[in-house]
Amino acid sequence: MCKFIVAGLAVILPWGMTAEQNISIQFQGGVFEVTGWHAPSTPPATGWASVFVVYAGRGDIPPLLGSYAVEGGSLVFHPTYPIAAGVHYRAIFYSPSGGAPIEKSFDGPPRPSNRIARVEHVYPSDSVWPSNQLRLYIYFSEPMSRGEAARHLHVLDSEGNELAGSRGVFLPGEELWDPAFKRLTMTFDPGRIKRGLTSNERIGPPITEGKRYILVIDADWPDARGVPMAEEFRKAFRGGPAQRVPPDPKRWSITVPKAGGLAPLVIDFPTSMNYPLLQRMISVSGPAGGVIYGALVIARRETEWRFAPEKPWATGNYRILVDTGLEDLAGNHIGEPFDIDVFNKVTEHIDTKTVSLPFSVR
Amino acid sequence: MRLKTTIRTAFCVCAAAALALTFSLVSRTAPSKVNLPVGKVPLTSAGSLAFGPDGILFVADSVGAKIVAIDTNDAKPVAKASINVEGVDGKIAAMVGVPADQIVINHVVVNPISKNSYLSASRGKGPDAAPLIAKVDTAGKITLLSLDSAPNEAVSLVDAPEANSSGRQNPRMQTITDMTYVNGDLMVAGLSNEEWSSALRSIPFPFKSAEKGATLQIWHSSHGRYETQAPIRTFVPYDISGQQYVLAAYTCTPLVKIPVSELKPGAQVKGAEIADLGAGNQPIDMVPYKKDGHQYILIANTSFGVVKLKADNIETYPTISAPQRTDVAGVPYDKVSGFDNVQHLTALDSSNVLVMTGHPGSGPVYNPGPPVGPINLQTVALP
Repeated sequence: MCKFIVAGLAVILPWGMTAEQNISIQFQGGVFEVTGWHAPSTPPATGWASVFVVYAGRGDIPPLLGSYAVEGGSLVFHPTYPIAAGVHYRAIFYSPSGGAPIEKSFDGPPRPSNRIARVEHVYPSDSVWPSNQLRLYIYFSEPMSRGEAARHLHVLDSEGNELAGSRGVFLPGEELWDPAFKRLTMTFDPGRIKRGLTSNERIGPPITEGKRYILVIDADWPDARGVPMAEEFRKAFRGGPAQRVPPDPKRWSITVPKAGGLAPLVIDFPTSMNYPLLQRMISVSGPAGGVIYGALVIARRETEWRFAPEKPWATGNYRILVDTGLEDLAGNHIGEPFDIDVFNKVTEHIDTKTVSLPFSVR
Repeated sequence: MRLKTTIRTAFCVCAAAALALTFSLVSRTAPSKVNLPVGKVPLTSAGSLAFGPDGILFVADSVGAKIVAIDTNDAKPVAKASINVEGVDGKIAAMVGVPADQIVINHVVVNPISKNSYLSASRGKGPDAAPLIAKVDTAGKITLLSLDSAPNEAVSLVDAPEANSSGRQNPRMQTITDMTYVNGDLMVAGLSNEEWSSALRSIPFPFKSAEKGATLQIWHSSHGRYETQAPIRTFVPYDISGQQYVLAAYTCTPLVKIPVSELKPGAQVKGAEIADLGAGNQPIDMVPYKKDGHQYILIANTSFGVVKLKADNIETYPTISAPQRTDVAGVPYDKVSGFDNVQHLTALDSSNVLVMTGHPGSGPVYNPGPPVGPINLQTVALP
């Protein structure tokens, strides 16, 4: 009833003549509403922002972006972006009648605090990493915040000292995430891996053969909600010899299943391979030429690729198709090492995209 | 019982599909004003930025695997400008309603015509972060570009996705590290989060839906002995003695010059190394300029601060041919004082650069992590 009376007054009174004592500001459903003041259907010449403005935060800041609407006679402000946790809102109504502004504060929902994120896997999964290891993959259980690796990812030497300064292991300022922000790719400083470069010559590779290290991922790494992880992650590893020989499919061992069953097709590699690339750079085509669908398992420290078909193997000739971009742990890919020693001519370029490995199921 | 077979000679090789894409980086007549269709700007993220002709802003969308050209309708020429805004991250945060620590500013460029600056940013730090493009004009006023309706055109960087019965999101992503517009082509450098790829893509603009541009492999020849694929981190077009070059800084620090004439489809291009900036560092931005009759290149780095390369007679410096035992090698350069905590550096006018500064992150000195607020925009005279 009160609102009705105020509204009625506002309709018949010109700008600046409203019953201010009943005016209030409400915040619900993600919008801010001036109640007790009947808004005219058209904005004043100076715009609605001269009457009603919302700030997200304190101090001298620009107003919150949004749009205005007159709904049921009330002026309503719709923020352009959703209401966020941890934000303090100030809504101010400047009465057209010239009275003191009416200000009201609101808080957005509290920031979440339940720690649920964990490191699920780290690849390479082996405990020996080649001294020219190129990439590290960290799989988190939850979407994470980016820009945190510099402070929350550490490599300690056997004395427990962090590899820092010019001994730093990773390419600085480089975080490569997947679109879900659940997998982080870190790159070992290629300037220290590539033979012949100043950094490699002067400092040596990031990992030294025979030395022991610990990879530490702090529990303080915030997830995408800003909440730290449930626990710290540690992985001990030892430096191994550099991998300079590119992967050669002729040296792979293939276990062929029998016809009529669902036993996996298995490829065993002499050395560990790049985990994400194993998942998408090897496929199987059937006797009719079409792709065979099935489930893939990468096992034994990324030295084994196991593929179980959805349907039983039929008798016939198959092919394993391998993208020549498939890399080992050091970035060597099929037919081409990470850095080619031109002087010694130890290798040659292969301008191909796929390698085909035929096998027969009987 | 499984039959175990060692593959010996059953090794057949499929020929690579030839690149059949047109590729042109030679000088061409400047196109007339491009009219882009008005519609929703299909950005899912906003990273690297570059300006093209007539106020066209290119925005790299690494998450969406595309590049979007937006007509800013901001082409009123201005010769000189000064932009100084403190706490630009906090101001943008207030406009979009998040705490300042949830704003990540990804890049900043200046419209070479109007001298207004444009920032790409994210509202949030996770996968649901919303892309933002903010304009900071020469008076310091901040506005956000409407992504609901603007003249724009996008080019996808991937082929149509294959049917995926699992419904899982493809975890592979090509992060676009830098773009530059040269003679009618947008050159795009990127880093894959899976394979070690050094593809540099060149896309003619205006975009054509079927033409995703040609790719070429950039190689780094190390002292005449080792060769390796080398992703480019940042690069700028540069004229040397009337010939068009690209000056490119690799992720592994060397600075190289590449003649544009060598950038042919499918080519394996080796950059001639003219400077080696040393270990534990990544170049962020480069700004070539002239001052008092001399040529310089200003380079902002993650770890080494801002350095000034003396680029007079750059063509006369021999390619570095032996490993260097010092931090620096090749074309001489000086570390420049007065540029502290620079996160980005971009040309403003003939006398000034615009720098984005912030407090170093809370990581160790050698790798402090992304800057923490307040992030400031500051006009600094070219040194």
